[in-house]
Amino acid sequence: MRQRLRDPVTGLLFVLPMLVLFLIFRIFPTLGAAGMSLTNWNIGGEWSFVGADNYARLLDDVNFWTSLRVTLVYAAVYVPLTVVVALGTALLLNQVVFLRGLFRGMLFLPYVTSFVLAGIIWRWIYEYSGLINGLLAKADLGPVPFLEQSALVLPALAVVSVWKGFGYSMLILLAGLKSIPGSYLEAATVDGASSWQRFRRITLPLLKPTLFFVLVIETISAFQTFDTIYVMTGGGPARATYTLIYGIYDHGFRSFDFGYAATWGMVLFAIVLVVSLVQRRFLDRGNT
Amino acid sequence: MTLTASRPLVRAAGAARTGRRRAGWPLAALLAVLSLLTVSPFVAMVVVALSPAGRPTVPGSWPESLTFDNVARVLSSSGFAGWTVNSLVYSLVSVVVILLTASMAGYAFAKKRFPGREAMFWTFLATMMVPFQATLIPTFVLVNDLGGVDTFWGLIVPTLANSQAVFLMRQFILGLPDELFDAAKVDGASELRVYWTIVVPLTRPILATLGVFVFLWHWNDFLWPLVIGQSDTTRTLTVGLTTLRTEEMQLSVLMASATVSVVPCLVVFFLLQRYLVNSIAMTGLK
Repeated sequence: MRQRLRDPVTGLLFVLPMLVLFLIFRIFPTLGAAGMSLTNWNIGGEWSFVGADNYARLLDDVNFWTSLRVTLVYAAVYVPLTVVVALGTALLLNQVVFLRGLFRGMLFLPYVTSFVLAGIIWRWIYEYSGLINGLLAKADLGPVPFLEQSALVLPALAVVSVWKGFGYSMLILLAGLKSIPGSYLEAATVDGASSWQRFRRITLPLLKPTLFFVLVIETISAFQTFDTIYVMTGGGPARATYTLIYGIYDHGFRSFDFGYAATWGMVLFAIVLVVSLVQRRFLDRGNT
Repeated sequence: MTLTASRPLVRAAGAARTGRRRAGWPLAALLAVLSLLTVSPFVAMVVVALSPAGRPTVPGSWPESLTFDNVARVLSSSGFAGWTVNSLVYSLVSVVVILLTASMAGYAFAKKRFPGREAMFWTFLATMMVPFQATLIPTFVLVNDLGGVDTFWGLIVPTLANSQAVFLMRQFILGLPDELFDAAKVDGASELRVYWTIVVPLTRPILATLGVFVFLWHWNDFLWPLVIGQSDTTRTLTVGLTTLRTEEMQLSVLMASATVSVVPCLVVFFLLQRYLVNSIAMTGLK
């Protein structure tokens, strides 16, 4: 009985260190972000309440709309590409027995490295005097201005992120594939189903929840891409890679316009929140 | 009767199996090509890193000779060594503190009753939906006001509030039988003793997984170290690497720096690959 009574205190004491960290460095800044977006906070720490001025400025800001478009186009290129690559490699790994562990390791390798490293390597790969253009020159082709042309730069950056990150989704999808009972596929084979039919009618429907999870995770990470842009393009050329996060960084740490930068942060928060809520909605529907 | 009926079935299944095996070789070849393509940027990086510096190499061609001069130069440069130490401090301190605080919180959320437990836990979970970048500015202003810019505590402490870690620990500890904890209490063990002699040893596999991920997250982290580490005293390796520009520096030295920076990740990868692969599928940690 005494033990029971002591429990509330010990429970709280065990949570306390993490709780304090959370209150100070997660909850307080989250509320602070909303509050700050209503001020003209600057580098000197001086601020006054400006109401919805920052939001009005945002709607009038050509750079904001460019940035929103850039972010959405980037996601529209990155998400399908990474899901297709992850699904394709997962299907191959599920099918091939020969040296499977080695291949899985090679495909997964970029995932354990940093986006900064990926940016440094691929900046050189894409450069005028870089690897791809060097190879093209040998065939008397090119040079292709991957990072200098607005139309090419977003797909080029998306490829870097796909390369760096698809290993994660590949492993998740591979686990999903492994959980499909082999007897289903065998039964279909016996009934004379072609491999395409087996994929379309059995594998894909059973993989749907896993695919959906991967889709959401990758959509969120598309909106959070920063490191490769910082290393490879710095938001250019002509703001062609100026994403929302780059805008937060630029306004915050180049112009030190903290209030306005926080406003950009609120837009990012809203987008990620909508994606998360859509995920929850679908998952709930899947459960019933 | 049953025998004759089952025969075509057996044959069909057998045919399917051999068909699959025959179809396997082109697929294996495709997989091999994709795997080689995936690692080729690393191979290119290492080749450039080992190429003699100062001689213009034609991109895409093999260097005439290989040398470790660039790697040696990188390893002996004080800037690089400093960044490496900073990255190690950032990553290892974070691993230790997160494992400790998250397992304590996870234990309390899973096995203790205290007022506000559910509300607290759901608040922890809800913060997962707030991207760190959206709160970057207020977090920076807060740390700046507390005098934490360009200090180690300013770099490390804000990244310790990790809801994924708490959630993972709680889920794992929920699966441990209550009787274990009751028995220890009946024997008169103190709360701290229960934590240290029962919770910690029994959660060792999940602690190891979490430790590896926390290490990789911090070793590869960029945006927060970029805004906080404003001089070489606290600058981490990822931030340091971005200050190296090819204009001022030979490409081979830059690639040698990149190669050296990735070594800890590769060590983790080669030692724990199987383990890492399984735990991603199991826990969904990213």
